[in-house]
Amino acid sequence: MNDAAVKNAAPARAQNNVAGLLVLALAAIALPLIPFVLPVSDYVLNIIMNSITYAMAVLGMVVVLGYTGQINLAQAAFFGFGAYAVALGTLTYGMHFWVSFALGLVVAAVAGLVLGLTTLRLGGHYLAMITISFQQIFDLIIVNWIDLTHGPDGIAGIEPPSLFGFHLTDKRAYLVFCAVVLYLLIWFVWWLPSTRLGRAMRAVRDNELAAETIGVHTLRTKVIAFTMSAVLGGIGGAFYAAGFSYISPDNFNFARSVEFLTMVLLGGAQSPFGAALGTVLLILLPEWLRFLKNIYLAIYGISVILIMVFMPEGIWGLLRNAWNKVRKPRPLAVESVPALALDIKLEHSTPMLKLENLQKHFGGLKAVDGIDLEVAPGTVHALIGPNGSGKTTSLNVVNGIYKPTAGKIALDGIDVTNLKPHDRAGLGMGRTFQNIRLFQSMTALENVMVGAQRENNPIESGREALTQRAMAALQFVGIADRAHIVVRSLPYGTQRLVEIARALAGYPKLLLLDEPGAGLNQSEKQELVGLLKRLRGHGLTIFLIDHDMGVVEKVSDKITVLNFGKKIAEGTPQDVLRHPDVIAAYLGEAPASGTA
Amino acid sequence: MRRLSFSLVAAALLCIPALAADPIKIGLVNETTGPNAEAGSYTVNGTKLAVEEINAKGGILGRQIELRIEDNQSTNPGTVLAYSKLTGEGGITAIVGPIRSTQIQAASPTIQKGGIPALVGGTDPSLTKVNNPWIFRVRPNDSYSSRVIADFGVNSLQLKKWAIVHSTDAFGSGGMKALTTALQSYGVTPVLIQGYTNNSQDYTPIVLAIKKSGADILATYMTNSQDLGIFAKQLRQLGVGIPWVGSPSIVTDTAMKLAGPALFGTYAVADFTPGSGAEAKSFAEKYKAKYKLDADVYSSWAYDAIYVLKNAIESAKSTEPEKVRAAILAICGWKGVEGLYCFDKNGDGLHGYNVVRNENGRVTYLKHIDFKD
Amino acid sequence: MEALANNLQVLFQGLALGSIYALVALGFVLIIRATNVVNFAQGDFAMLGAYAMVLFLVGLPGNTDLGIPGFETGVPYWLAIILSVVVMTLIGLAFNYGVYYPLRNRSFLPVLISTLGASIFLQNTILAIFNPQPRPLEKLLSSDGVTIGGVFLDSQYLVILVFTVCAVAFQYFFFEHTLLGKKLQATSQDKDMARLLGIPVALMIAITFIYSSVLGGMAGILIAPILFVSIGMGSIIALKAFAATIIGGFGDVAGAIVGGIIIGVIESFAAYYISVPYKDAYAFLALFLVLLFRPQGIFGEKVSEKA
Repeated sequence: MNDAAVKNAAPARAQNNVAGLLVLALAAIALPLIPFVLPVSDYVLNIIMNSITYAMAVLGMVVVLGYTGQINLAQAAFFGFGAYAVALGTLTYGMHFWVSFALGLVVAAVAGLVLGLTTLRLGGHYLAMITISFQQIFDLIIVNWIDLTHGPDGIAGIEPPSLFGFHLTDKRAYLVFCAVVLYLLIWFVWWLPSTRLGRAMRAVRDNELAAETIGVHTLRTKVIAFTMSAVLGGIGGAFYAAGFSYISPDNFNFARSVEFLTMVLLGGAQSPFGAALGTVLLILLPEWLRFLKNIYLAIYGISVILIMVFMPEGIWGLLRNAWNKVRKPRPLAVESVPALALDIKLEHSTPMLKLENLQKHFGGLKAVDGIDLEVAPGTVHALIGPNGSGKTTSLNVVNGIYKPTAGKIALDGIDVTNLKPHDRAGLGMGRTFQNIRLFQSMTALENVMVGAQRENNPIESGREALTQRAMAALQFVGIADRAHIVVRSLPYGTQRLVEIARALAGYPKLLLLDEPGAGLNQSEKQELVGLLKRLRGHGLTIFLIDHDMGVVEKVSDKITVLNFGKKIAEGTPQDVLRHPDVIAAYLGEAPASGTA
Repeated sequence: MRRLSFSLVAAALLCIPALAADPIKIGLVNETTGPNAEAGSYTVNGTKLAVEEINAKGGILGRQIELRIEDNQSTNPGTVLAYSKLTGEGGITAIVGPIRSTQIQAASPTIQKGGIPALVGGTDPSLTKVNNPWIFRVRPNDSYSSRVIADFGVNSLQLKKWAIVHSTDAFGSGGMKALTTALQSYGVTPVLIQGYTNNSQDYTPIVLAIKKSGADILATYMTNSQDLGIFAKQLRQLGVGIPWVGSPSIVTDTAMKLAGPALFGTYAVADFTPGSGAEAKSFAEKYKAKYKLDADVYSSWAYDAIYVLKNAIESAKSTEPEKVRAAILAICGWKGVEGLYCFDKNGDGLHGYNVVRNENGRVTYLKHIDFKD
Repeated sequence: MEALANNLQVLFQGLALGSIYALVALGFVLIIRATNVVNFAQGDFAMLGAYAMVLFLVGLPGNTDLGIPGFETGVPYWLAIILSVVVMTLIGLAFNYGVYYPLRNRSFLPVLISTLGASIFLQNTILAIFNPQPRPLEKLLSSDGVTIGGVFLDSQYLVILVFTVCAVAFQYFFFEHTLLGKKLQATSQDKDMARLLGIPVALMIAITFIYSSVLGGMAGILIAPILFVSIGMGSIIALKAFAATIIGGFGDVAGAIVGGIIIGVIESFAAYYISVPYKDAYAFLALFLVLLFRPQGIFGEKVSEKA
């Protein structure tokens, strides 16, 4: 397809997109209005009401689980906070509906915040357990604290709200209102992933360690995710209560949480449309399967397993993947990207990195045993040593992934010993990993944008600037034309470059490179050496670990050698690589050639 | 000639609908699946027994009964959906079920909107006090069970130091409150009130508390057969032998099977008791012959509900909702399996309970206590 | 004196119930160690074991809707146990190949959901085959129990305690002192390395599932005379067993046992001294606190993530 054809195709495709969107919008508006035109039975209205309010809660699951990768089995409790707040507020305390509603959301948000804070210590199975425990305690309280919640009797007679003086007693009118709210929420959840916060969430999901290291405040991101999920659950619960006019504890228990989870997984956790689809399906399925009577729950159980095995991204994921195969990727305009701004002014001679008596012990094992080291600004400083000498551990301590057992770390004169990795990134510390740690489900551009998002990045604020910065970084390493490709499908060497671009997008003062040459062939290694020299030329300080002595020799200004966690030699490549202790540590005999 | 053949044809055409008279559809909202499926299966048994009996004798007003069963999955929203499906279908004369008070509460607005009679088996007294003209109760509610327990314990057994053990669910809490009120009217304050959550696996703390309280009579409102079984056994293992008067669940088939000797000698208030009269006895025999199971309250109330409907439709000579409704309210003095029905203006059909005793595994009828109000 | 007897009674109940949580937790932990899978259907293994006993001791009630014929059986108790163990073995195999194997390379979340689905499926299949009625099951011993010093010791609970001790002892001996046990340990610690050493990893994992299934089934067989045989009997136990594994130390065998006992005892005393309806809340609160302040549990090791 030549350029002209592409240009001609683009407007046509754009037209198709607009047309498609228009149809969708019209359908979305028309749907809730059908009950006013055709007689719809109460049964159908109830099902729709059920679907809409549940879908709101399931949207919360999209945010916390689909986007941020955190398991949440307490969504029914948040749903319950909203429902009970509205019920108790309007009936027991005589408050206005919207006041009760707001209070319910506040309570849900606080609960979500607390649960989110527990992720500081825990993830995975533990988080599942904590959320289950929370759910169980909530359940026990609403059942047994009869004075407050009316216990198992439930609360009856909840009235639908008024909107600007118009009382929504007609079920159909109430449904339209709920549908509008749902659409707004779907739009919000759909828009979220492309925002700064959304990218941070996805980064946490794909690789939390990397995200933390390159500047994402992972705890805050997870807490926000939980809070959002809780608020969405609360909204759903409040509208559910007003719609069905009667609530009782057995609707807000662990089984309901499992149901929400299944709905989001079936539909597709990564998409609000998937969530809505999953919700509707799982509400309709038991209704359609009524004829199977006793065994439909058994079939339901089997279906869950089958979905997990064959459709992990849910139905929406299946549809979207099929769509992507058919759709051609967008053509890219590469010319207009400015050069990457990288220059670091070297005004003083304070060491860029200073380690004072750094110690890291794991129980009895002294991985890092008292290292003093200074890295001069604007130089390339290599850390080498035989396997197990403590190189990677040292790097991890410098980075903040490990807390040192003793000793101090200073970055450009600032004591960072007790700072979290994302704070160190915020001060200009960048890093790449030995085993590539990219955000696999995001494009190259998005990956690099996360790097650019670090706090105190001396670039202009705003989405435009962020995108520009990221494109510039990709261009710098020579892969700008692959910006919109999902990283998962890129070859190894290219992924390496994306990682470097991601680090550079954060405008680092100090760049930590862990085995940057690993897995590269000879010519790629030559390019790496060239890249590192260029970076040094821009004023960056580089601190790297590598096994390839050829690379190390060509690119380093200074080398520190470790063995058994202690420094055994330091100096220029010529001095160090001929040092008898160094040779003995590595080989026990005279050096054979340059490569290890 | 033509006139004759015309009238012959006309007569023939008129006969056809009469011959193939369309059935009277009665809905049943039932717990077919979910945690209460056990009870649900008995309800279906009882309902079907009544329907088949009536149909075999020619149906109601010459029309056969067709049963439309909807599963409510043992949940509240499920009950709402089941009711709205049935009322929305059109052509259904009345709906029976369910037995759980919270489910009935949840469906109350839908029942009101549906505008057809609903005959329920829940015993929460408030169900008939919500100004819903379409709800009828074919079991005596808990305000009566508690008054009967109190009356029997205080007046017949002459015991004043009461321990009340109850489930914290709707049934148990409601029963406990009603019993406490009833005892107050005799000037008795319980020495111990102990609640527990359904499916607790161990009742030792409660038993120890009963011993400590010095109670001389135990009253219970317990929902699950398993809980009853474990509690009863542990009670005996720890040496507690005081008289025990329980709510109807204590004499269900399952509870007695699970607890075995631990429940021998206990008293119960029961709405359904085979020995309480001819109707109950005959029902129990028919049920056993057909299903090889002992009948219990889960099946009896539904059986009665169908017969109440039969009586009402026949006396109204119509299946129109308003006429059936009025006819049900007019029923007074008809003896069903559950007892003597006399519908009050709230829709409550029964106003008293039987007192029975578990004598070595057989339920024997002692007396019936009825209230006027 | 009565106060002491009461406290001892409460303690005994706590230990006994705790042993059941411990037995189920043990099965949990083994699967977690071998496959990193949290099996939400673990409690249902107990339920299946109990129903297997009903099948062999009493028979099937039959389900006319589904065309399942009813029949009666009546084998001796000891034979029923053996046959039930065989059934649990088959179920463990089916679970391994049906639920775990297709998802073995995926992250923990799909597998967790799958086990939830398996739990729903198992419960409802049993519901369809047997009807929903809860059933009694005979105790193992003919005596109901014995009263010593005012404390009633239920004979079945004594059997449970003895069995738990034996199971732990057997497990220790098996895992530490037999070649197969060592292979299983190796598989659970590093699958890839074990594979490289020639250990048939898939077979080891299948064996782990079978062992867990049998253990769970035995837990069900032992507790059913007390709690009765019902569809949901496993779910109630499973959640607490899971909490036990965390309190004891996620992935640690001794921890599972200790954790189970701790939960049983906390529940029992909380019910006695504080509040019966909220007793479950206290167990979960304890879990919450452990997770917040010592997430690795009592015996677990802190695991730092490697960069």
